[in-house]
Amino acid sequence: MQNNPYLPLPVRIKRITSENVARDLKTFDLVFINEQDRKKFKYTCGQFALISVLGAGESPIGIASSPMDEGFIQFTVKRYPTGVVTTALYNLSEGDTIGVRGPYGNGFPMKDLEGGNIVIVGGGFALTTLRSLTKYIIHEKNRAHYGNITILVAAREPGEMLYKYDLEEWSKRDDLKLIRTVDKETENWTGKTGFAATVLKEIAPSSENAYAIVCGPIVMIRTCIAVLLQLGFPANRIISSLEMRMKCGIGKCGRCNIGPVYVCKDGPVFSYEQLQRLPDEY
Amino acid sequence: MRFFKIEKSKMVGLAKRLSETHAVFIPARADQGYLRFCKLDFRSEKQNVESIETLSFWGYRNTIIPPKEVFFPQTEVLFTFSEQMPELSVAIQPLPTVILGIRPCDARAINFLDKVFINKDTQANIENGAGNFNDPYYAEKRGRSVIISLACNNPQSTCFCTSLGGSPDGEAGADIILFDLHENLIARPVSKKGEEFIGEFRDWFKEPGEKELNKKNELVAASRDRMRPIEGILNAEAKLDNLFADFLWNEIHMKCLGCGICTYLCPTCHCFDITDEVRNKRGRRLRCWDSCMFPSFTLHASGHNPRPTYRERMRQRIMHKFNYCPKNFREIFCVGCGRCVRNCPVNLDIREIICRILETKNAK
Amino acid sequence: MDEIEREIRGTVRKLFEDNRIGLFIGYIKGSLPLRTTPGFINGLAGIETLVWNSFCRNNLTVYLPRFFAPDPRRKEAKLPSIGVLVKGCDSRSLVNLINENQIPRENLCIIGVNCAGLVDESKIQDSMGEARMNEIIEVDEEKDGIMIIDEEKHRMKFKKEDVLADVCLNCKYPTPVLYDILVGGKASQKHLSVRKDDRVESFEKKNIEERWKYFQEQVSKCIRCYACRQACPNCYCKLCFAEQTKPKWVGTGNDISDIMFYQIGRIFHQAGRCVDCGACVRACPVNIDLRIFTSKLVKDVKELFDYEAGLSLEEVPPLANFKPEDTQGFITEP
Repeated sequence: MQNNPYLPLPVRIKRITSENVARDLKTFDLVFINEQDRKKFKYTCGQFALISVLGAGESPIGIASSPMDEGFIQFTVKRYPTGVVTTALYNLSEGDTIGVRGPYGNGFPMKDLEGGNIVIVGGGFALTTLRSLTKYIIHEKNRAHYGNITILVAAREPGEMLYKYDLEEWSKRDDLKLIRTVDKETENWTGKTGFAATVLKEIAPSSENAYAIVCGPIVMIRTCIAVLLQLGFPANRIISSLEMRMKCGIGKCGRCNIGPVYVCKDGPVFSYEQLQRLPDEY
Repeated sequence: MRFFKIEKSKMVGLAKRLSETHAVFIPARADQGYLRFCKLDFRSEKQNVESIETLSFWGYRNTIIPPKEVFFPQTEVLFTFSEQMPELSVAIQPLPTVILGIRPCDARAINFLDKVFINKDTQANIENGAGNFNDPYYAEKRGRSVIISLACNNPQSTCFCTSLGGSPDGEAGADIILFDLHENLIARPVSKKGEEFIGEFRDWFKEPGEKELNKKNELVAASRDRMRPIEGILNAEAKLDNLFADFLWNEIHMKCLGCGICTYLCPTCHCFDITDEVRNKRGRRLRCWDSCMFPSFTLHASGHNPRPTYRERMRQRIMHKFNYCPKNFREIFCVGCGRCVRNCPVNLDIREIICRILETKNAK
Repeated sequence: MDEIEREIRGTVRKLFEDNRIGLFIGYIKGSLPLRTTPGFINGLAGIETLVWNSFCRNNLTVYLPRFFAPDPRRKEAKLPSIGVLVKGCDSRSLVNLINENQIPRENLCIIGVNCAGLVDESKIQDSMGEARMNEIIEVDEEKDGIMIIDEEKHRMKFKKEDVLADVCLNCKYPTPVLYDILVGGKASQKHLSVRKDDRVESFEKKNIEERWKYFQEQVSKCIRCYACRQACPNCYCKLCFAEQTKPKWVGTGNDISDIMFYQIGRIFHQAGRCVDCGACVRACPVNIDLRIFTSKLVKDVKELFDYEAGLSLEEVPPLANFKPEDTQGFITEP
């Protein structure tokens, strides 16, 4: 059958990294088994793919690696007790084979981001596609295209923060400003304490020639957007990424729509201006 | 504008001949009317007799289950797998398809489903990642199909195709349209495929006489006359733009039971689910019909549900059909076939809902 | 009939005037000739739309659990006071729901109506002889029967007892078993002497292969629309076993084994609870003969446990109870 978008491509799990103290978040490094699949899988930051565990089902997960990474793709998956697929994924080991199909979605507006400053605000588990974005823009081949980069990472507690290894690296760089904050600090915590929106207000990044990208729990997104608007960011320069229950990922099964747009096909990345025009059903 | 004629008794012979090289689907009789479109199988004696009965189209209004299931079956195996490798995708119907006796409303609905499932720009879209994909399971069946529709002599009171741009003798979606003159059928090829089909089976058809063509025109006029169009449905999209938060949804949903009858019997509804099934070491990935009226349709693994009650789900159904699909596909996804009206267990009538919407004053 | 209708309207009016209820669930005119439809009246304005006739088939109690389900989003802490119109069979559903703690008795105002049986429109259709594929355009319920006019202007009259719904043929409780106010005087018990529905008895005489074959034939039409489940007042589970994913008890497609598992599962979950109201049969769009199975179940429960569901607020359902004399034949020696 020609060009069957429902067919997952086989990948092997090369490495599994446990991301948090609660041990329900894992990052999977995947390698395509077939070379031609790897070549065809060209993605941009902010896109997602449907991870397939044959026998359990599929799950839409944002791509955490950046397009600059060669030879492998990464996904960070949270295990939900009610989730059939995420639980099955959680129980897999390095060397196991699963399936991937994609990339789907519109991704972040990379062309629009060029030449300007970027403010990235990521909360909890939603940091995953923002990591893809960050790794891309700070890559030596790309850094020059972007201006000032401010990154605010929020988590409930220090142990729950994702990608600690990346955050360490980034904190040492002088071409970006990284602020980490937790709701509840523990001993030895050297970062800030407070909700993302509060800290965002404190840092007050400049809205001049800048885009802001906010991802996280819905409450966090709402409060941070309020702060960004106050700081002068126009609605069409505030970007967010939404989640929805998905099945086909290609805009056919009718499940993930918000009004007339499908989150899988027309999103998951939307500007605040676009969100304002959509019905409040997410 | 060429017309042909074929006696109904000869039509049975043609259907039999076709069933040797095609998968022929006709509306199948059951105890209480016509249930669904079934594949003709002249090998069984029982089927033989039934087919002859069916192809007389006596008492035929429409099937309960719409013909969308020929191209979009309720359960479809996407692929099978063992261990962790998907095997070759499942072979679809080896024979080309003929749907015989589909009503103009349902034929028009197939056109709408084509817009959802078929998209020829697949290559470009694979490179861009976003955009419209082609559904090969639907497309391959549809690509090798001939739709022979049957114009309606007897629209029911629950039919409202003319309110939505259709007609009892509408040609949208058909390759050939037939007109029922009781002993004979008048056939008119509507598309290139239809022309080719008649050409291939030219010997089965005769030229109709003027009397017969006049009779056909009379029947068509009488049918159109019987329709009682609901004014203004085509304005529903614009009206609904401002009604998302309106109070009317709080009332409309109240008697809805939350079953899937309206969606499953609707010829344009196309929502589906994808699930895996495993037995021993072999499994398959299935695509099954699903309904936005079911509570777990949009239920997230986290427990959050953007449409938690009947109110939101009813609103989604109406908005999807009369507002979102017009925006995405430039068509209202309702063809006025009346199945939801006839079969809803609590007589929730979509025509009444539309009228209510059209009468609602926009709140600011 | 008109009298009862007036009585209902008068009663409901008084309930609203006395502020005893905030909402009344009854029947109003349907959009098709042989139908009524559930009506939700929340004030005096809607009273005149209430109707009562031989087409009031829906079991309205199915809507009640919705209003009392625990809901953190509910703004008012107080539960609503709801009035509902029930026939005999519906009242038994009500008793069941109250016994199973789905609705609080004190928040209900139950208007029971003495029911003289309901008409099955498909029986009318089937009795129209040559015209049986014609659409019925007008219906008039008269003292001596149902008068219909079809689309070809044929007028036909049917005696009500000839076109009664199957569930009504064996009805033992035409007077509601639970009510606050009873309307409808003494119901015409005439239909109780009409030919009985003895299909269960003749079904039981078939051997097991025949019965299984019949079951398969019937449920092979099923399209998993779940109308039977949604129409049944007893099916109020938040997550039906047929839709659970962890574990996945039954597949979602129309595989015959999945369909059979769903149907058998759902029907047997009614053991000791089904009141044979016929809501499931009425709802099914593909006319599966569900009643042969539910009525057999009801018969079995009566024989095994001497129990009929939905008769009294004091009773305990047999599957939630144990009596020393219960049959133990199914317990095998290890």
